[in-house]
Amino acid sequence: MATTEVTSEVIGSVWKVEMSEGDSVAEGDLIMILESMKMEIPVEAPVAGTLKEILVKPEDSVEEDQVLCLIES
Amino acid sequence: MNFDDMLADLKAREDKARAMGGPERLAKREAQGLLNARSRIDSFIDEGSWVETGLLAISSIVPEDREKTPADGKVAGFAKVDGRMVGVVANDFTTKGASSSATNMKKIGHVKRVATERGFPLVFFGESSGARMPDNMGAKGMGVNLGSDPQQYVRNRESPWASAVLGQCYGSSAWYTCLADFSVFRKGAIMAVASPGLASFAIGQKVDAEELGGWKLHERTTGLVDRVVDTDEEAIETIKTWLSYMPSNCNELPPEAPVPAGSDEGAARILDILPDSRKRGYDVKKIIECIADKDSFFEFKPRFGRTITVGLARLGGKTVGFLASNPMGKAGALDVAGCEKATRFTIMCDSFNIPLILLVDTPGFVIGIEGEKQKAPGKIMNFMQALQMCTVPKLSVIMRKTYGQAYLNMGGGRNSDDVAAWPTAEISFMDPHFATEIVTWGQDASEETKQAIRDQMEKDNSAYGLAEIYGVQAVIDPRETRRYLIQQLEIHQLRLSGGIGKHRMSAWPTTY
Repeated sequence: MATTEVTSEVIGSVWKVEMSEGDSVAEGDLIMILESMKMEIPVEAPVAGTLKEILVKPEDSVEEDQVLCLIES
Repeated sequence: MNFDDMLADLKAREDKARAMGGPERLAKREAQGLLNARSRIDSFIDEGSWVETGLLAISSIVPEDREKTPADGKVAGFAKVDGRMVGVVANDFTTKGASSSATNMKKIGHVKRVATERGFPLVFFGESSGARMPDNMGAKGMGVNLGSDPQQYVRNRESPWASAVLGQCYGSSAWYTCLADFSVFRKGAIMAVASPGLASFAIGQKVDAEELGGWKLHERTTGLVDRVVDTDEEAIETIKTWLSYMPSNCNELPPEAPVPAGSDEGAARILDILPDSRKRGYDVKKIIECIADKDSFFEFKPRFGRTITVGLARLGGKTVGFLASNPMGKAGALDVAGCEKATRFTIMCDSFNIPLILLVDTPGFVIGIEGEKQKAPGKIMNFMQALQMCTVPKLSVIMRKTYGQAYLNMGGGRNSDDVAAWPTAEISFMDPHFATEIVTWGQDASEETKQAIRDQMEKDNSAYGLAEIYGVQAVIDPRETRRYLIQQLEIHQLRLSGGIGKHRMSAWPTTY
């Protein structure tokens, strides 16, 4: 079992979380959408697995490189 | 002395020079997973192709160092890499910290001169404690060692240079990295003007090495390095990959490569990557990978100036440079770091006859106090001037937004040899959202009125409006982009000069 940290590429805020903890994800699946500079920034699964933990909620501010969720595969 | 004795003496001298700083120091490095100067060269070059210069050089300044300075701490020579000639300088840190002194500086000067005058690339494997002490001390030290080569730090980009930062790099290893066209940095290495110890001593503060010159600083903040890797071996492979895109010198065309099977299939996926909504971001790297020959995109500075994505790739087997807005970074709005990255990349491509492909999706420039403090107008003009002075073929594709001065910076109008637009393109002076606020400023305009103004502006922004006045040469289906660009590259070949550009920026600075 390996855990992959999914991190934010941008400084911004969480707009929508599209998945729930425990969901299965395929590589490239949309997990959540951030908002930065009036642009919606999709956060996609870098690997396939199970969404183990979501560490942010809508309207949270996020920093670059902040861990947003964990995928176990 | 008879011939046998003479030859035995020669062999003994050579063996001693090849032993570098001795088995103990070499074993210590090996235990840390680090290659040494000679194993780095062996991993880099075609087997059996090494021609060393200055093997028997030693310290010429301090008499006691004569026996302790094999090859004077810098291994230099010529070799083939993938069948092509390169010059190599590998610093031997086990010998006096590969510090710079009179003899080894002559060796570097020779390899540089030969690589430049005979027209082949030069590669530095950097690891250096800086100027050797006490050799460089005093008036005599300075007079003999430093400043005696008037061309030492001239960069005319006659042939490509690469540098690897593979340990502590102070002084010359830092300078050559900054002068190189391409640099790679191994995690754990440090690049700075002077060591943390000296910096702490001089300014009376404790200076952390990683903070002073570690990989995160250079990858994300200074942008002085192009790629960061985990191992020496990876650094060496990365330089070989970069060289595979480059000509041997500025008077040659880049080498061609076979087009991998399946390269034409990616373009059909562009519509899956490009979002329906104009407000949704996407990673432009995925678009580039759909357009370029399969698996050929080689990115520079992926974590610096991320409003722009740049890298070499091949289109129909020929080397091209991609310079693309990336909506994943600040919505694709050009910032200071993005301009610096674009300027440097444009100069490298132009200096080595590599056509530029600009993919455009930018709402304009990042505005505000932070950018102004960093001289944003000057950076924007550096980029603009570089683009206009560039004489290699330039092709622009407007994917979505292109507004204001950024439209010109990204090749709009006559700033590219050909501009195509996707039907999703929007072209204007300013995003309608902001423009509406400006034209209704001070008026008591209702939301309905503003919406009507916005709607009209959006309609006027279309690709077809620009096509009608021949502001773009074509509006194309995004899935046709690869085919279109390959055709345009063929049309715009520099036939009158055999593909060679004018290189008007070859002596421009290497850092912005």
